[in-house]
Amino acid sequence: MLSLLPQAAIVVPRLHPRTRGALRAIMAEKLETSASVASSSVSFPILVNGCTGKTGSAVAEAAVSAGLQLVPISFSSTGSPGRTVRVSSTDIRIHGPSEREDVLSSVIDEFPNVIVVDYTVPEAVNANAELYCKLGVPFVMGTTGGDRQMLYKTVQDANVYAVISPQMGKQVVAFLAAMEIMAEQFPGAFSGYKLEVMESHQANKLDISGTAKAVVSCFQKLGVSFDLKQIKQIRDPKKQLEMVGVPEEHLGGHAFHLYHLTSSDETVSFEFQHNVCGRSMYAEGTIDAAIFLYKKIHAKADKRIYNMIDVLREGNMR
Amino acid sequence: MLSLLPHAVSIVPLPYPRRGQAFLARRRGSIRAVVDEKLETSAAVVASRKVSFPILVNSCSGKMGSAVAEAAISAGLQLVPTSFSSTEKPGTTLHVRGTDIKIHDPSETEHVLSSVIDEFPNVVVVDFTIPDAVNANAELYCKLGVPFVMGTTGGDRLKLYRTVEDTNTYAVISPQMGKQVVAFLAAMEIMAKQFPGAFSGYKLEVMESHQANKLDTSGTAKAVVSCFQKLGVSFDLKEIKQIRDPKKQLDMVGVPEEHLAGHAFHLYHLTSPDETVSFEFQHNVCGRSIYAEGTIDAAIFLHKKVKSKANKRIYDMIDVLREGDMR
Repeated sequence: MLSLLPQAAIVVPRLHPRTRGALRAIMAEKLETSASVASSSVSFPILVNGCTGKTGSAVAEAAVSAGLQLVPISFSSTGSPGRTVRVSSTDIRIHGPSEREDVLSSVIDEFPNVIVVDYTVPEAVNANAELYCKLGVPFVMGTTGGDRQMLYKTVQDANVYAVISPQMGKQVVAFLAAMEIMAEQFPGAFSGYKLEVMESHQANKLDISGTAKAVVSCFQKLGVSFDLKQIKQIRDPKKQLEMVGVPEEHLGGHAFHLYHLTSSDETVSFEFQHNVCGRSMYAEGTIDAAIFLYKKIHAKADKRIYNMIDVLREGNMR
Repeated sequence: MLSLLPHAVSIVPLPYPRRGQAFLARRRGSIRAVVDEKLETSAAVVASRKVSFPILVNSCSGKMGSAVAEAAISAGLQLVPTSFSSTEKPGTTLHVRGTDIKIHDPSETEHVLSSVIDEFPNVVVVDFTIPDAVNANAELYCKLGVPFVMGTTGGDRLKLYRTVEDTNTYAVISPQMGKQVVAFLAAMEIMAKQFPGAFSGYKLEVMESHQANKLDTSGTAKAVVSCFQKLGVSFDLKEIKQIRDPKKQLDMVGVPEEHLAGHAFHLYHLTSPDETVSFEFQHNVCGRSIYAEGTIDAAIFLHKKVKSKANKRIYDMIDVLREGDMR
């Protein structure tokens, strides 16, 4: 039987009534706290797989702020199993990977309408998706990487509700979608214009921003001649501080983008910027995705697999 | 009888129907000679122009009109050496890039234009006159059945559309000829319509700078603000920062000195509630080039529609944009 007590190491498929009761008591308390924290019209249990990670913990905090019921259980493949992590005045019990199926199964028994949010690692994407699909629990896949085709196939075959999006920054997705629509509707509108692109990320991000590449592709459809090699990648913290204007506390985690278009006679210019510090945008976007999914399940929607565009089309979630 | 000679001033209304072939053979020949010469020059200047057709700019004497006339020649179109003006002395000749444009008084527009159409059946007229002339001009173009691009703002717009609809005339009507600005605005509108409330909670700051004598707030700025409102942003038009002081425009906004008297700079800045995310959009226009180029795109677009006998008759800048690159 599982127990919330840290020293329990025996694993059995079902939660002990005492544990179940203890969980319920904690959830009830959380519900009260949540109600006083935020008056969301929607509330449901949410389990964040990867609470010990940076984005996972940001999502867990955002969930509490949004008035959702954060299930005090998570999983991790690193560190000692049985430890507790504190998120927003909630104690989250961390379980090892081998316990995933049993623990998650118990959670679903206890909270049939729970939604799982996954911020783990690329190597775990497919195995985790398979587990969620096996247990029939709806989930938001925030983790990038893994075999994406296999991921979609697994979810389709199981008919499970899921939001899958490598980009959880909802507003960036909206901007990119607007650029794509403009490029599709008005091909060649900016023929003859010159383009300059600059992007700045934390020093350890080696590759070019995928978002920058996507926006460049739009401008190419709009008739602008530009090669990806011309993207100016800024990775030197000194330049980022002084030239780009990144706040010092976010040098270790930011995504700044600037696109500048100039007409051939240089009398006209357009400029687009999107600048993100930290993880807050992704955490908030993830919560929006979870609330969206909850509503779809509630409405017994036919469609099962969604992306951030679907979430955006639904309108304001809060 | 009308004559191209600059000093001719006697104007006698033709006593017989416009479309009679008895119109001045000499004048017709003169126009053709000038246009043929222009055709050669155009061909040499712009060798690979796929599309070329006669274009008449009413009025070449205005700032927009002369910019459009120059852009027409650069684009390899055949600028008809005839125009109208209520400010220039009738019979004056204006020089546009080596072409001599004969200016006629607006009262002559009907028969002069009628002759031009006889001579050049596929001519497209571009109108950059004044608000007070919009409806009368449109009525004339429709009466003569000549396709036109209406660049002049103002007038009675409802009546304008009705006139064109009733006569089934081909026309591009757009108060905003800056094609790329229209594209940007359309993208914002699509984003707002598809993703309502996407930017809920975000703060917006808007700044616009125009020449000192533009008293009203930019219509484009208002339209973009309306999009952000649909996107969930709380903002009142009164919050738009209007910059009209030339010193601020030079030092703060960065407007080039030579364009202080004619520019349109816009900046929109969005910040997330916790200030970790920001978006910024700018569109900055100096002078008239963007409008002249957009007008030429509209004229080429219209020529193509007329040629292909398209069912639709009235178009706007969005239609022109949807067609793709015109050149």
